[in-house]
Amino acid sequence: MSSLPKIQQMLAEEFDLPLDQLTPDAALEARNIDSLSALEFMFVIEDEFGIKMPGEIASIKTVGDIARTVDELVAAKGAAPA
Amino acid sequence: MKRVVVTGMGIISPLGDDVEAFFDALLAGKSGVRVHDFSWGTQLAAPVLSDVDAPFPKIKRLSMDRTTQLALLAVRQACAQSAVDGTPGAGTDSGIYWGTAMGGAGALENAYRELFINHSPRLRPMTIVAVMTNGATGQIGIDFGVRGPSYTYSSACSSSAVAIGEAYRAIRFGIVKSAITGGADALLTAGVMNAWASLQTLAKQDEQHPETSCRPFSADRSGFVLGEGAGALVLEEEETARARGATILAEIIGYGNSTDAAHIAQPDAEGQSRAMNQAIADANIAPGQVQHINAHGTGTVVGDVIETNAIKNVFGVHAHAIPVSATKALHGHVMGGTGAIEFIATLQALRRQAVPPTAHLTHPDPQCDLDYVAEGQRRVEGLEVAMCNSFGFGGNNIALIARRYAR
Repeated sequence: MSSLPKIQQMLAEEFDLPLDQLTPDAALEARNIDSLSALEFMFVIEDEFGIKMPGEIASIKTVGDIARTVDELVAAKGAAPA
Repeated sequence: MKRVVVTGMGIISPLGDDVEAFFDALLAGKSGVRVHDFSWGTQLAAPVLSDVDAPFPKIKRLSMDRTTQLALLAVRQACAQSAVDGTPGAGTDSGIYWGTAMGGAGALENAYRELFINHSPRLRPMTIVAVMTNGATGQIGIDFGVRGPSYTYSSACSSSAVAIGEAYRAIRFGIVKSAITGGADALLTAGVMNAWASLQTLAKQDEQHPETSCRPFSADRSGFVLGEGAGALVLEEEETARARGATILAEIIGYGNSTDAAHIAQPDAEGQSRAMNQAIADANIAPGQVQHINAHGTGTVVGDVIETNAIKNVFGVHAHAIPVSATKALHGHVMGGTGAIEFIATLQALRRQAVPPTAHLTHPDPQCDLDYVAEGQRRVEGLEVAMCNSFGFGGNNIALIARRYAR
C-alpha cells in the first residue's frame, strides 16, 4: 500500500495546506516548503513510519518523491506503514 | 538633527492584546498575575492567555520560538497602526532595533529535554533558528520587508528600552528614516522560572489574593512576578511622517544609557541617576519639566529603595511632585520585553492625560517616600513630558523621555 495518502494528509496538517494542492507531482518549493522545512518534515515521517530517511534529501522534490522514498524504505524494512 | 515620532504601537501582554485594552487595564488596576497551570507545573506568573499559535501557519511556527511569535504579533499591530509601507524593497532606509533578554530560551529548553531526558538521537533542524537570539529580528525583516540595518540588543531587563533608545538615536542622526523597535520575551519555562526562584527575587505568593503578589514600593514587597509578552513601536522622522499624513502618537526627545560598573546583579543608584541625567540633557529640558515617571519598580526589597534614591538624586525636591508608577505589579516583569511595554504605558499616559496606579501598595515604606499613585489612576491635565526607566542585570540603565506631540 502506497504511503501517498498518509503523506498528503501529514503535509496538509503540518504546513496548513489544502489537500488538493498536494498532488503527487506538486513541487515542495512551489508549496512554500523550502529545504529546511522539508528536513523538518522528514523527522515527522520517521516517527510516523518507524523508518530512517536518507540524510541527503536533495533528490526529494515533489510530494510523490517523498511517498516513493518512504515506500522503498518501508519495503526494505519489511514492515507495513503505521 | 531630526525630530523622532511614534506612529505605531502594538502589544501582546498578560493584560490584553491591544494597546488601548492594555492601558485601560492598567488604569483600572487589573492584574494579569495569576496561579497558572503550565505543562510542566503550577506557578505564580503573568502569562499571555490568548492563542499565539493560530495566527501563524505551522510551516512558519517550526522556525520560531514563542518569543518570536509574540514579537511578530505586536509588530503587526504597530505596523497596521502606522500603515508603514511593507512592500519588499520599500524598506531600505528603515531599520529593526529589537530587544530580548533570552530569545529562544524556551526552544532551547525543549531541545535539551529531547536530548538529555527523552534521549532523542537528533534534534529538529529548525532548532538553531528558533533558539538564536536574533530570531525575532530576522522574522520581522522577512514579514515586514525591512531591508536596512538590523540590531538585536540583549541587556536583560533593559533590552527593549536600549532597542528603542538606539532606534530613536539612529533616526535622530539620519541613519534611517524609520524603525521597527521594541522587544519580547517568553520565559515562563520550567528552567528559567526555577533559575529565577533560586535567585530569590520572585514574589512570595499571596495565598488569598495571588494577583496582588507583586507590590512595588510597598513595605511588604517580596519581589517580582515573571511575565511574558511583547511591545512594538514604529518610529519615524517627524518630517517624513507628516509628509505622508501619518497620525503622530507622541515624540521621543531623550535617551540615556549608562553602565553601573559595580555589581553584576545589584542595582546602583549612581548608575541609574547617570542614565536619567543623560536623558534629560539629551531632551534639552530642565529636570522640573518631567511630570511623570514609569519606574523600573520591580518590587524587590533592594531595587525599589535604590530607584527611589536615584530619582531623588536627579530631581531633588521636585522628585516628590512627580507621580511615579510601577506597572509591573499588574503586567508582571516581561524581562526583555518589559521596557517596550512600559514605554507604551508611558506614551499612553501622555496621550490619555492619566497615569496608572502603582497597584498593591498598601503598606508605605519610609525608605520609599515618593508619590507612587498608590490610591488608583490619576488624571493629570497638561501632562506633556514623561520618563520611563528600565534597568538590567549586568548594570545597564536606560531612561527614555517622551513628549506629547505638538508641531
